[in-house]
Amino acid sequence: MLGFSVLRVIQVGFKSLHLHKLRSALTMLGMVIGVWAVITLVAIGEGASQDAQEAIKRLGAQNVLIRSIKPLDQKTQSQGFSFTSEFGLKNADASRIRNTIPGVKRVLPILQQRKTAVHGRSEVDCQIIGTFPYYPEFTQARIVAGRFLTESDEREKTWACVLTIGMAERLFAGQNPLKETVVIREEREGSKVFRVVGLIEERSTADKMPQDEDPSGKTIEDNIYIPLATMKGIFGTLDVDRSAGNYKAERVELSEIRVEFNDADQVLSSLPLIRDSLNKGRDGVKDYEIRVPLNELNALKQQKERDTRMLLYIACISLLVGGIGIMNIMLATVTERTREIGVRRALGATQNDIIVQFLIETIMLCLLGGVVGVLGGWGFAEFRHHILEITTIVKEWSIIVAFGLSGMVGIFFGLYPAIRAANLDPIEALRHA
Amino acid sequence: MSARPIIEIKGLTKVYDLGQVKVPALRGIDFKVLEGSYTAIMGPSGSGKSTLLNILGCLDRPTDGSYLIGGDDVSTMSDRQLSRIRGERIGFIFQSYNLIQQLDVIENIHVPLFYQGKDIDEYRNHCEKLAELVGLSDRMDHRPMQLSGGQQQRVAVARSLVNEPLMLLADEPTGNLDSQTGEDILEMLDKLHGEGRTIVMVTHDDEVAERAERVIHLKDGLIDRDICVGKPVMATPVKANEADEGESKKVRFRVKLNREEKD
Repeated sequence: MLGFSVLRVIQVGFKSLHLHKLRSALTMLGMVIGVWAVITLVAIGEGASQDAQEAIKRLGAQNVLIRSIKPLDQKTQSQGFSFTSEFGLKNADASRIRNTIPGVKRVLPILQQRKTAVHGRSEVDCQIIGTFPYYPEFTQARIVAGRFLTESDEREKTWACVLTIGMAERLFAGQNPLKETVVIREEREGSKVFRVVGLIEERSTADKMPQDEDPSGKTIEDNIYIPLATMKGIFGTLDVDRSAGNYKAERVELSEIRVEFNDADQVLSSLPLIRDSLNKGRDGVKDYEIRVPLNELNALKQQKERDTRMLLYIACISLLVGGIGIMNIMLATVTERTREIGVRRALGATQNDIIVQFLIETIMLCLLGGVVGVLGGWGFAEFRHHILEITTIVKEWSIIVAFGLSGMVGIFFGLYPAIRAANLDPIEALRHA
Repeated sequence: MSARPIIEIKGLTKVYDLGQVKVPALRGIDFKVLEGSYTAIMGPSGSGKSTLLNILGCLDRPTDGSYLIGGDDVSTMSDRQLSRIRGERIGFIFQSYNLIQQLDVIENIHVPLFYQGKDIDEYRNHCEKLAELVGLSDRMDHRPMQLSGGQQQRVAVARSLVNEPLMLLADEPTGNLDSQTGEDILEMLDKLHGEGRTIVMVTHDDEVAERAERVIHLKDGLIDRDICVGKPVMATPVKANEADEGESKKVRFRVKLNREEKD
């Protein structure tokens, strides 16, 4: 067929579809839902994956996180009665890593303890985090007001503190906390008064993971940051937990050590060195765990590929179901339009002409359904992204795949009804009621 | 100058093979239809009338014998070639009009040209003239559903003329119409005949058949009677149209199947 006649067939196809609007719409529905599902599911998956990747990237692809964990044997001992367990990372570990492992740019020690913060009548359970001034560079925390801790805070062991926004809201109830004081209650040493010098906002997902084992369920919004030197000086390394009615004390010198390498390429090759360095003087006691964001990133990417493949299978099945529905309707349409087919044959249409006509109508149904599905899925994704503010990313390839598949479904499931139509005997077809 | 034969049928038989029995519908028919003639084919049901009509319309192939339309034997042509012959040489008028519902009047008239690969935009004028000819110039954008039966049949007449066929093949063209509307259609056919068109009409209605110059009666698959009731063929040609119509018909007559198309 010539180019213009294909165009004309498309025009006639539109007229035929228009003649039965409801039926065409319902027939398209399967396609619409299939394509809609492909676009939306891929966009949701992509968004979630990107969020997770961002979170891991914020931990730093060039970073290694080492955390203190309670060794298994000590955990069992400490149950039921008063016992102070001592374990975890030492200051010496931090300096040994910094000094002996090649490629290490910086080492960030973190000491974390549960305390109660008081201002006026507000009392809030919180995490006290003793750390170095470059902490925000590691966690990508954003400084909202004032400043973070400085070198001189650390050197002079000042009583300066920085609050997370959530903490400030709970303690100060909307008042400006800068220059105000916060009392941190401490059983043995008495209460300590800190001056608020700044507010920061943690990237939630970034820091959730290092604290996810916190049994008291404190969120990362309830953090108070103070100089590490000050913390060691006044609170020592004993962390006491009286929750759940039993006294539990842990002596941990450093809760966490974050190691930053000059380049992400050095991370994996340096892991054995870090392990060797930590195992020195530990007698095989495993009281630390190593987290490598780079590995997690790679694992996540692999997981995402698997998820995407699965989504495509689901999408293919739904498109298949839609295609079968379309074939069903087209077979009914061929029966209903038998007379028209006979007339066209009498007026000079060849079998090929009839095949082309019905095939194009089916493909049009599918592609129209595809267009509606793409628009719907895309619209929904944008709505979710911008209005509901859940990261949702429409991938170009998903549109192309969805659209291409719907066209292929049209050809595949349109061919049989079209051939049936073309093979009708013109005489019988003309006689058809 | 004698008129050329449009149709030449020799020894035409058609046997329906129903598996266990073979039913002969046509048992050897010979006749010619001359250019410009008006022929009616009559016969009771079971006489082979419909079978003959289908073969004349190139919708079916004879079991034996030859059928030449415009000089080409179509009895052994492929389905594809027959489609082409139908589209180029035959103008169908059906009992139940058989317009295409989703197309308007002009588009319906154009359909035979469409399958010859002729675009509607180039032939819109031509189609509009035909719509005027059948008195539907004010309904050109109407759908069949919006037209009366008589109007639909007039569209069908216009459609049968659009491809300048060698003959009009009318199958009970007034069967679904009331007598007055049927009369209008028959007058239209008379007029077309007067202009030199070749018409073959199948009917069971004696009054309708009287319009023709010649009536072929079929009975049991054979020609029972072949009667010339009207004036002799081309005895009173319409003077005004004779020269140019004759000329263009000659041209049309030379239209042979493209050799490449014969596969």
